[in-house]
Amino acid sequence: MTVGLIIFAVTLAAGAYMAWTIGANDVANAMGTSVGSGALTLTAAIVVAAVMEFSGAILVGASVTDTISKGIVETTLFAADGPLGPDGPLLLGLGMLCALLAAAAWLHLATHFGLPVSTTHSIVGAVVGIGLVSFGWRGVSWNTLAQIVGSWVVSPLLGGLLAFLTFFYIRKHILRSQDPIDATRRIAPYLVAVVVAIMTLSFIYKVMKNRADVPPVLFSIGISIAFGALIGVLAGIVVRRRRITPVMTPYTYVERVFGVLQISTACFVAFAHGANDVANAVGPLAAVVTLSRDGFTTVAAQVSVPFWVLALGGVGIVIGLATLGHKVIATVGKQITEMTPTRGFSAEFGAATTVLIASSLGLPISTTHTLVGGVIGVGFAQGIGALNLRVVRNIVNSWIATVPAAAGTAAILFVILRALLI
Amino acid sequence: MRPILALFGKSPFGPLAEHTERAHQTVQLLRPLFEAFLDGDWAKTDEIYQRISKLEHKADVLKNEIRDHLPKSLFLPVDRGDVLLFLKEQDGIADRAEDVAVLLNMRQTPAPSGMRSGILEFVDYIIATSAAWYASSRDLTTLQEASFTGPEVDKMMDRVREISDMEWEADKKQAALSRGLFEHEEELGAVSIFFWMNIFRVLGAVANHVENTADLLRLMLARR
Repeated sequence: MTVGLIIFAVTLAAGAYMAWTIGANDVANAMGTSVGSGALTLTAAIVVAAVMEFSGAILVGASVTDTISKGIVETTLFAADGPLGPDGPLLLGLGMLCALLAAAAWLHLATHFGLPVSTTHSIVGAVVGIGLVSFGWRGVSWNTLAQIVGSWVVSPLLGGLLAFLTFFYIRKHILRSQDPIDATRRIAPYLVAVVVAIMTLSFIYKVMKNRADVPPVLFSIGISIAFGALIGVLAGIVVRRRRITPVMTPYTYVERVFGVLQISTACFVAFAHGANDVANAVGPLAAVVTLSRDGFTTVAAQVSVPFWVLALGGVGIVIGLATLGHKVIATVGKQITEMTPTRGFSAEFGAATTVLIASSLGLPISTTHTLVGGVIGVGFAQGIGALNLRVVRNIVNSWIATVPAAAGTAAILFVILRALLI
Repeated sequence: MRPILALFGKSPFGPLAEHTERAHQTVQLLRPLFEAFLDGDWAKTDEIYQRISKLEHKADVLKNEIRDHLPKSLFLPVDRGDVLLFLKEQDGIADRAEDVAVLLNMRQTPAPSGMRSGILEFVDYIIATSAAWYASSRDLTTLQEASFTGPEVDKMMDRVREISDMEWEADKKQAALSRGLFEHEEELGAVSIFFWMNIFRVLGAVANHVENTADLLRLMLARR
C-alpha cells in the first residue's frame, strides 16, 4: 500500500504539473488567433480562456479522459486475477504514472529542440508504450488506437473544411456583396446564433449525459436553437449600434464587427480546448485515482471519471495561464497579425467545432493541429496573404516521430521503476 | 517552433504597394531632371541623375526582399508566378526611369527650339500615368482584405482600364513629338535627333511598364 500511496501522490503532482504546462503553453495556440486579430485584448483573452477552458474541462472533459485512462491500454489484463497476479492493478497505476512522466519529459525535450510536438500525441504515445511493454501486442486496444490515429488525420481536414466553408460563405455573401456593411449587419447575427447553438448543444448533451435523466434529443436541440437565437438577436443589436466613421473602408467596418463576433468563437475554441486537452493531464491521474479507491486491488471496468480530477486539471490549466500562459499568448498574438477577425472567426469556428465533436466521441486530438487545418482552410478560400505549407509536413513528421518516442520513453521508465518499486 | 506561428508567411501585398511607391518616386524626379536638362544645367542634371539612380537601387533592394520572402512552399491567394511577374514589370518602371536619366546625363544634347513645353508636357503625362498606378496600388492591401473579390475588384479593373487608356495616349504623344523632331533636322543634326528619339522611346517605355504592371494585376484578379 505504501507503494500505492507513492504512486498516487506522484501521479497527482505530475498530473497537476502537466495541466500547468498545458495552461502555460498550449492555450496560447488556441487563443493566439483571437489576440492576433485584435478581437480580444490580452486581459480579455486570459479571462475568456480561464473561464472557458475550465468549463470545457469539467463539463465535457470526461469522455477523452476516460479514453486515455482506460481506452488505449487493455486494462482488463491488469486485473488482480489476470496474468500479472495480484500486483496487476498496482502495475497499471505505475504504468499510468510512467506514461505521464514520459510524456512530460518528451514534451520538454522536443520543445528544447524546437519540434512542433503535440501534448496529445505525446500522452497517447506514452500510454501505448505502457501497454506494449507489459503485454506486447495484445496490451494495446488497437481498435481504439486506430480510431484515435484516424482522428488525427481527419481532424485537421475537417477543421480545414469547416473553416473553408465558413470563410467561403463570408466571402460570397459579405465581401463580394455590393454593400458589405449592410450584408454584415444582416448576416452576423445568424453566424453568432450558429456558434452559440452548437456550443449550447454540446453543453446540454454532455452535462446531462452523466445523469440518469437524459433529456430528449429534440428538447436539447430546441433549447440550443432558442439560446443561439437569443444571443444572435443580441449580437444583431450590438452590430447595428456600431457606427461607421467616414474614413473607414467597408472592409474595416466588416473586420470591426467580426472582431465582436470572434469573441464567440474565441470562447468556443477555449471551451473545446479545455474539453479535449484536460485529458492529457488528468487521463492517467483518473486511472490511478480509480485504482487507489480500493487500494490497488481491483481494476474496475466501468467507473466514471471523478469530478474533482477534472476540476484539478481545469484549475491547473488556469494557474498555468495566470503564471506563464499570458506571456505566451501575447507573443503568439503579436506574431499572427495576418489573421483578421473574419479569417479568425472562420478558422476558430472550424477548429472548435471539430475539436468539440472529437471530445464528445472521446477522441484525444491536437487542438493546435486542427486550428492549423482551419487556418489553411481559410487560406484555400483566398483569405490569407501568405501561408507556409511546409508546416503541414513538419506536423506530420512530428506526430510520426512523437508516438514511438513517447512510447519508448514510457516503456523504459516503466521497466526501471517496476524493478525498483515492485 | 509553434506550428501556428510557422504557418504564417509574410504577406507580399503590403510590400508590393511599397515597391510601387518607390518606383513612382523615381519617375517623379523626371520632371526636375528634364527642366535642368532643357535649361542646359548639366551639374543639376547630374545631381538629379544620382538621386534617380539611388532611388532605383532602393526599388531593386525591395524587389529582392519581396522575392526572398516568396519561396515555392508559400501558399498565396493569387498565383505566385503572377506576383513575381508583376514585381518584375513594376521594377521595370523604375529601371526605365533610370535609363532616361542615364541618357540625359550621357551627352549634353541641345534642346530643339520651341519644343520645350511639348517635351515637358509629355514628361508630365508619363508621371501622371505612373501616379495613377501609384494611387491604385495603395488599394492592394484593401484587395487582400476583400479576399480578391467583390466591388473592390471591379473598381480596380476600371482603374486598370484607365491606365491602359493613358498609356495609349502616351504612345500618341510620343509619336507626335518624334515627328516634330524632324522639323529641326538642320538645327539639331543627326546625332542629337537620334538621341532625342531614344529619350522619347525610353520615356514611353516607362508608361509601357506601368500599363503592363496594371495588366498583370488584372490577370491576377481575373484568375480568381
